[in-house]
Amino acid sequence: MILLQSHSRFLLQTLLNRVQNVDKGVELDYQWVEFDDVRYHVQVSTKNPHIVLLSLSLPIPPPETDFPGGLPSGAIEAIKVSYGVVVQILDPPRDGFNLTLKLNLLKLPPDEDYKQSLLVKIASVREIVLGAPLRMVLKRLGSRMMIPNGNQLIALVHRPKEAFFVIPQVEKVIVVYPMRFSDSIDTVLATSFLQEFVEARRTSGLNNAPSCSWSSTPPLELKKVPPEALSANAGFVSFVIFPRHVDGRKLDRTVWSLLTFHAYVSYHVKCSEGFMHTRMRRRVESMIQALDRAKPDGEKAKRSPNSRSFKRLSLREARTNSNS
Amino acid sequence: MDPATSRPAVVIDNGTGYTKMGFAGNVEPCFIVPTVVAVNESFLNQSRASSKSSNWLAQHSAGVMADLDFFIGDEAVSRSRSSSTYNLSYPIKHGQVDNWDAMERFWQQCIFNYLRCDPEDHYFLLTESPLTPPESREYTGEIMFETFNVPGLYIAVQPVLALAAGYTTSKCEMTGVVVDVGDGATHVVPVADGYVIGSSIKSIPIAGKDVTLFIQQLMRERGENVPPEDSFEVARKVKETYCYTCSDIVKEFNKHDKEPSKYIKQWRGTKPKTGAPYSCDIGYERFLGPEVFFNPEIYSTDFTTPLPDVIDKCIQSAPIDTRRALYKNIVLSGGSTMFKDFNRRLQRDLKKIVDARVLASEARLGGEIKAQPVEVNVVSHPIQRFAVWFGGSVLASTPEFFEACHTKAEYEEYGASICRTNPVFKGMY
Repeated sequence: MILLQSHSRFLLQTLLNRVQNVDKGVELDYQWVEFDDVRYHVQVSTKNPHIVLLSLSLPIPPPETDFPGGLPSGAIEAIKVSYGVVVQILDPPRDGFNLTLKLNLLKLPPDEDYKQSLLVKIASVREIVLGAPLRMVLKRLGSRMMIPNGNQLIALVHRPKEAFFVIPQVEKVIVVYPMRFSDSIDTVLATSFLQEFVEARRTSGLNNAPSCSWSSTPPLELKKVPPEALSANAGFVSFVIFPRHVDGRKLDRTVWSLLTFHAYVSYHVKCSEGFMHTRMRRRVESMIQALDRAKPDGEKAKRSPNSRSFKRLSLREARTNSNS
Repeated sequence: MDPATSRPAVVIDNGTGYTKMGFAGNVEPCFIVPTVVAVNESFLNQSRASSKSSNWLAQHSAGVMADLDFFIGDEAVSRSRSSSTYNLSYPIKHGQVDNWDAMERFWQQCIFNYLRCDPEDHYFLLTESPLTPPESREYTGEIMFETFNVPGLYIAVQPVLALAAGYTTSKCEMTGVVVDVGDGATHVVPVADGYVIGSSIKSIPIAGKDVTLFIQQLMRERGENVPPEDSFEVARKVKETYCYTCSDIVKEFNKHDKEPSKYIKQWRGTKPKTGAPYSCDIGYERFLGPEVFFNPEIYSTDFTTPLPDVIDKCIQSAPIDTRRALYKNIVLSGGSTMFKDFNRRLQRDLKKIVDARVLASEARLGGEIKAQPVEVNVVSHPIQRFAVWFGGSVLASTPEFFEACHTKAEYEEYGASICRTNPVFKGMY
């Protein structure tokens, strides 16, 4: 897996399961949390097995973003457009959540393929809600519409109390991410990952990808932003999106990829750490083997089985021990 | 206060056959997937073969891509079936982690692809079998803290969690015997006040897979019309849907012979190669399958001690002051204890053994001293299949859990050795 999927796997599984046994009255009450502190709550009661209540809580927005009524601007319209009659927005939402949707499974379209794609769309509710403002900007770029107050900087929620910045221009949109990591090792790895990432963009196969750049200081476009919103310890990444990146069906993927850029980097940092661990384990194993070869035979015979478990064993020894 | 404590902890129960994962506070795990990783090894061989010719950069990036090109769970199984580039590897064997590289990859996919959470945001509760060496806990701690940067980790013992799952339905009791019959291993584990009595653990070489094999053998010997490549899967499904525990084999045989129409079931399927439909009868194997635990001699000649005898021996080898409490609370866990009336049969057989012993000792004493009757109680609950996970979910949602966890700061201060011990905490009793 290289890219994160846009739908929540568990939500999709739950919905599909419900759709297949609509008549069976089951009580469901699940709560779970996804990356960037997005919480979900799904509830089904035995009385109305075809009604699913889906609540969503979003990351806490930083002060510079526009967040009317606890939702990103344009989110309500985006939900109505994407889901149609299946979904009803409950106002006010459940306590502790930003949005509660009431899904009526009986109103799903009868056509199987269409139903499936709609369910996947419902499972990607976080993309629809959080991505609404970004989608609006990119859509305008795609249709090359003039922006009423062009060149104005927009701050959008990225992670809890962190924002990224979008600068719409006439023929392009610039997206800038301040990258922050809490762990010092992660910061170092992410910094070099991002530099490699920019480097990889220059290879011949990726000529059509949005051009991107990394710098350790805030780029000039962010001059007007208050300095406290720009404290990034892994530098700044900016992408330039052209109209060709958002035509037609590409729009959805672009929105999702831009929306989860931090999660993407952090996932790959974790993967790299895992990769290094594998290498390190192999190295330790070969060194222990070398040490074992150097041991005189007399010492081996003396070791009693009891003292063994207190020494740090090599992987192979631990394995044979546990099997016996 | 650490913000991670306000989010639900992640509970992952890695079993030999299946991994159960989800968030604490829920009743069911989010996903139950086979513990298997499909790795693409074609890149590896390629780079060795052409190590001199092509440029190193292409090779390097191919290696890096191979590092991300793997699948877990059901996806892994289907990938390895449809193409030969993926090889299956089972990271856990007999309840112990066997391949740490595969295990690390498995966890990576569990966290990022299935649960889709940021491991830095959540405390983690993992499980291990009671026979795991402490080194294995250290490795687990290393992977969790170094690779995934988890803020806190607790490694619980599976039978203790199974007990914890039981006490929400009745009362809080941390003393009991856990009879854990999984797919690959059967353990009888006595637990006193939340601590496993390690010296008394008994293992049986008969588990869920053996029941399946026995059913397959019975059906094959009777000459049922099942395609051979499908017969193991059919036997497994027959086991899961039709098997039950009987009270007496001879009576059950008579019942089946008198009213075949009532007891003999039909199985319908399609042949995987040709797609032609077929049907076969399911008869005595319905009750003979689970009977393997009570009369093992019908299945194997090597191991002939019935499960109730093993449980009795296990309790008799435990400290004398815990035995009555252990008899009183025998908890079932694992998918292969789900047969109908399994708990009743176990309780009856065990009671017989105990009563015989009490009578014998009374006879020996000449009837002067009357022993108090021993209470035997086998507890069964509807969530036996993932009782361990459920117990973990219950424990990880108590506030004491977060204090019992090893935190990242402690790990950095003292090293991986802190993961060797995981204290029993309040909320467990």
